[in-house]
Amino acid sequence: MKVVRRANLNWKARFFYAFKVVLFIYFVTNLKRVIFSLTLLNFHLVKSQIDTMLGERKHFVDEFSEKIKLAQHELHNKSQNWEELSQKIEQSKTSWLLAGISSALDIRIPLSDRPVNYTAISSDGSQIFPDRHEVLPCYLINISSVVLNYGENGSANLSSDPVLFFKDEDRFAIWEGKKIPANSNIISHKRTLMEFERLLQLASENSDRENIISISDGTLILWSLEGSPADFKKVILEPFLKIMDEFKNRRVPIVGYISYPGSTDVVNALRLGLCPEKVSYCNQCPYTELPKLPCSPIEGLTDRNLFSSLLKEGEMSSVFRSSSKILKSYSDHHIYFFYLNIGAEVARVEIPKWVAEDPDILKLVHTLVYDQAKKGKGYPVVISESHEQAVVRGKDRNFFFDLVKESMVKADFNVSISRKGISKRVPGV
Amino acid sequence: MEHIGEVIESSTKGFTAQSPKIGKSPSFGTFVKTDSTPVVYGLVYEIITQSSEPGRKPTAYDMSIDELKREQPQIFELLKTEFHVLTMAHSQSKEIQFTLSPLPPPIHSFIYECTSKEKRELSEQDFFLRAIMSSSNVPVDDLIISSLSNADKIRKNDDEYIVRMGKSLSRYFKDDYERLSSILRRIL
Repeated sequence: MKVVRRANLNWKARFFYAFKVVLFIYFVTNLKRVIFSLTLLNFHLVKSQIDTMLGERKHFVDEFSEKIKLAQHELHNKSQNWEELSQKIEQSKTSWLLAGISSALDIRIPLSDRPVNYTAISSDGSQIFPDRHEVLPCYLINISSVVLNYGENGSANLSSDPVLFFKDEDRFAIWEGKKIPANSNIISHKRTLMEFERLLQLASENSDRENIISISDGTLILWSLEGSPADFKKVILEPFLKIMDEFKNRRVPIVGYISYPGSTDVVNALRLGLCPEKVSYCNQCPYTELPKLPCSPIEGLTDRNLFSSLLKEGEMSSVFRSSSKILKSYSDHHIYFFYLNIGAEVARVEIPKWVAEDPDILKLVHTLVYDQAKKGKGYPVVISESHEQAVVRGKDRNFFFDLVKESMVKADFNVSISRKGISKRVPGV
Repeated sequence: MEHIGEVIESSTKGFTAQSPKIGKSPSFGTFVKTDSTPVVYGLVYEIITQSSEPGRKPTAYDMSIDELKREQPQIFELLKTEFHVLTMAHSQSKEIQFTLSPLPPPIHSFIYECTSKEKRELSEQDFFLRAIMSSSNVPVDDLIISSLSNADKIRKNDDEYIVRMGKSLSRYFKDDYERLSSILRRIL
């Protein structure tokens, strides 16, 4: 009997022990939930707003196929007499960017054979912005260099060079005649310029290669300079246009690649075509009293939506002229663009005027950009590798400032950071 | 003589080296040495080729190596080959001592394959077999077989040597006949 009772006691003790473990886990889990609900984003509130957003989006999706059909119809319709639309685009003044047209809109250009040997170059940049709560007011820009040689002598060069900016001429910029500390906007422009400088350097170092193409991540249209004062604009734009001159002189095509573009230049041109006015002036629109504007039936579509339904894999669209305001300062290097179906998506490819006007180089750009995107499984491999080389991650940023501090301590400098800086690093409870 | 690796991780019991070329490393069971002072001698027991960036992983391209070199040349810049070495002996002067080195080789020391004379000296006694057997995390049986085969090749199939080492193994594995038998059958 004693044995049985002992066995029972063991069983009970085990049961209570298990119960205590479950209670402890429940407590810890809930404690974590309470702490997280205090310190992190409240996802319960976010989720209900996501649902509202999707409810409104569904309305657009329902109308989407009708809009696409109408836009396609307009695309073919206006292509019959594209000169007329082109003239209207030239004369009208709209609140949107309009694609300049110099050929039918619905042209589909098939892919040409790729040359066996070619070289793709790219450069990307990443930065550690200055932080006034950190120990020293300095910043860092990391610029990558990627050269990929394809064909008989396949080879690759991948590297990156960080540059630390700490001198007064780097830390301050002239903005509307005033000397102001370099902020994220100024540093980002400086970084963009450095990327193009590196691209040119790579192009000149590889000038003996055949079929060379330089691909930049993103647009060649520095539209974000539009809001900058003339003195700062000049600092960035002048060297940029000199670089563009060099590319032209060397006959090395420079390309801006935009994945999943949200631009609407061509759709806007079609919307202009829908306007009953002979010449449209949006600020004097006579149809504002109507329940719907005549130009609204295809509103909300992007060029990507339109050309995804037109272009087959490998095909490129006609070449269009961008009407971005900043391009008035580009003189001989006005930017043109076309859409290209790379299989996984339709991408926007931007090119300077001289490339748009040279059929052989344009054909080469078409073929090589497509090949790059195929090699990179949907995104040009040369761009993704240059991004990987350049990227500065959050932990690198912390390590960088720690390194600065450590070096200062070793050199017997007085090191102090703001209370805010300390508070961010070591949040108290 | 060209170096075959560079130390990138170093500890008393062993070290890791990176090969200067992808896929080119000393083979499993090779006797290697460092160019440091003291010279550290060891046996290669693991060879790894992988992505050089922790967040990236190689994927299949369905292409031959030649095609990959022509059409995806960047991937060869993003891989690295490393090999792990088990420390067996060291030498402060000319004489080799069959104990762990008082200090591990410094990082970035170069690695060379041992000369025939050094290999002969390192394998003359059964200390290297004991070093392998007393190590954890190494493929003990296969490392014994490979290193013994390498030692035997230098001696141009010296029967007396193989018998002597076999006797040592039989002492080490006196409690595990099956294992001893498996090793000996694979050496002979």
